[in-house]
Amino acid sequence: MNGKPGVATADGCSSNGDENIIHIDHITKIFGENKRKVIAVSDISFDVRRGEIFGLLGPNGAGKSTLIRILTTLLRATSGTACVGTYNIATDPEKIRSIIGVCPQNSTLDIELSAYDNLDFYGKLENVPDEILPDRIWELLEMSELTDRANMRVQTFSGGMRRKLEIVRAFIHKPLILFLDEPTIGLDPEARREVWQQIAKLNAANTTIILTTHYMDEAEKLCGRIAFVDRGKLIALDTMENLRKLIPAGDLIEIGVEKMDERVVQAIRENSLVNAVSVLEQKVTISATNGSRLLPALLAIFERFSVPILSISIRTPSLEDVFIYLTGKKLDSGGEGGPPAPGPRGRRPS
Amino acid sequence: MIRGAVAIFKRDFKKFMSNPFVVVMTLLMPIMYLVVFGNAMGGTISYIPIGVVQEGPPYNNTPLFLNSVPLLSHYGQPENYPRLFDVTVYPSESSAKTDLTLGKLEGVVVFPSEVSSDHAVRLYLDSSDSIMPPLIESGVSSVLLQQDAQNTILVDKIYGDIHYLTFFGVGIIMMAIFTSTMFGGGIALIKDRENGIHEGYLVTPVQRSSIILGIISSGTIRAFFAGFTIFWIDLLITGIVIHSIQAFLLVILVIFIACIGVTSLVVSFASRFSAQQEYASTVAFINLILFMTSGAFYPVLGMPDWLRWITMINPEYYGIHALRSIILRNQGLDVIGIDLVALLIFSTAMIILGIVTYRRTLE
Repeated sequence: MNGKPGVATADGCSSNGDENIIHIDHITKIFGENKRKVIAVSDISFDVRRGEIFGLLGPNGAGKSTLIRILTTLLRATSGTACVGTYNIATDPEKIRSIIGVCPQNSTLDIELSAYDNLDFYGKLENVPDEILPDRIWELLEMSELTDRANMRVQTFSGGMRRKLEIVRAFIHKPLILFLDEPTIGLDPEARREVWQQIAKLNAANTTIILTTHYMDEAEKLCGRIAFVDRGKLIALDTMENLRKLIPAGDLIEIGVEKMDERVVQAIRENSLVNAVSVLEQKVTISATNGSRLLPALLAIFERFSVPILSISIRTPSLEDVFIYLTGKKLDSGGEGGPPAPGPRGRRPS
Repeated sequence: MIRGAVAIFKRDFKKFMSNPFVVVMTLLMPIMYLVVFGNAMGGTISYIPIGVVQEGPPYNNTPLFLNSVPLLSHYGQPENYPRLFDVTVYPSESSAKTDLTLGKLEGVVVFPSEVSSDHAVRLYLDSSDSIMPPLIESGVSSVLLQQDAQNTILVDKIYGDIHYLTFFGVGIIMMAIFTSTMFGGGIALIKDRENGIHEGYLVTPVQRSSIILGIISSGTIRAFFAGFTIFWIDLLITGIVIHSIQAFLLVILVIFIACIGVTSLVVSFASRFSAQQEYASTVAFINLILFMTSGAFYPVLGMPDWLRWITMINPEYYGIHALRSIILRNQGLDVIGIDLVALLIFSTAMIILGIVTYRRTLE
């Protein structure tokens, strides 16, 4: 599950191959000291392949942003190392900065400047040649449908418009690798779809994309491979299909109840069609080889122990189910499994 | 209403207390005012450098001259105070006057020769300073009185009558530079940090030297506009006359270099701080110390030794000294060269400090 043994050694990344563009080797990040110590990233290793859309999926506070910040040279790892392109994050941060584009989770637009000026500022910092910069800016404004607002202050923009501007800004210099930290957070469905199209288009143009999200549909829609992260640890990493296979084959039956009886769980487990049973809050999730054939038997069990059923449904498992299966908690509800790790200076990364 | 007020109070107070730096600074400010302001302004002036000379062409030293030199040297301040004058005997009137115009002396006393017709004691004073000339004048006349000498004193204020307003007005140019850097200098860097905007550009290949130099350049230009504007206002209010185009250009040069110095000082602080409040209180604190010890209000000679040490590394001192030399004494590069060199060394050191301490990561 953890990344295969290092392509690169601790000191050199030049051999980081054609296949892998990012190689992460036992990265750990600890904030604070002694009593107030928080482990934000705990011994994570994996590789990202050239040209793929890689998803980092996990609840708020899982350590996704911290990991992204380490890879984008904003934070130093407490231990471990990583290669981005052919450069080591510890020894060659400048080189890395020139091949990556980053869209951070929190807005980093200068709201006192216009959309055009924001892009112009970044274009210059990213060393986009002056003769192509204006054309590139208009192209990006077109892409984000902000052409008519080019000279208005970002202050006057809606959340969605700001987000779109921030995303296009991240690839003003056509980076080799694009990091998108929660790219569609706070966007309406329409805007999200536009962003997804944008990401897919960029990927088609050979940009490797690493995106973090806690939206299942986003990961399902875009990502080739997905890494589950929870409480700083890598839980699973694979393609969508393979992750689904982690859940014992078959259907999922969800039964809503007022109060669960341990004996009922016991009785359900005894049925040969049942692969797994989990109880989360007031919901029993049963994984079965053939859901519809099992239903009558289940109803009989609930009847026998007189536990009233509030709702019942059968479906094929989603990515979220895989996550719940692996971690025992839902993606959207960070913090259930323990306090979320504070980021640098108390900000909560996710 | 009360509930809301209490909530707002609690929130504000909690924030205040959770920031020990600002708490300390709030207390330190008035204490520093007491110590620095009190010492810088109320200090006893001592060791005023004056030259004494026997009128030439070389004649024998008169008894009046021979008696007056030790009397002036020990001229009494009240007991336990250091003496008022630092007396140097010059062999000729011209060499003493040269040192006076170069600013090495505050005054020159010329004692009459035996063949003098009017037996008048001539006193040449550096009048660009409004506090020391009367001290020298009264010292000389009481020394003469002690000897029952009836000689008249002819006072020559070599720069004419300069009022305190004029003296102080030059200092205000420096203050304008400092206040504009306080609000303009490094605050953009700190605002970026507070709003988290810096995260956006720290992932670009931009170098920290570019960030610091960019901020210093813009801060310098802003400070220059402030200093230059105040310079014009000064001319109108105080009636200073700039005598030549060279002097005017020198003033502009000095203001510009002083702007670089002060801006880079402020930015070197900004490169480290992450909250406006901390930054503002630190810079206000430094502003106080530097302005008080700059000699803008009161001659540096009146300050205790420890404050004079601060003066040595105070860019404002050199800036004000250079401006006074040009504007009030009509002196040139030969006198202010050293000030410019000091300002440039200071600026370079601060720029390097700013670049080195700038945080390139989020930690």
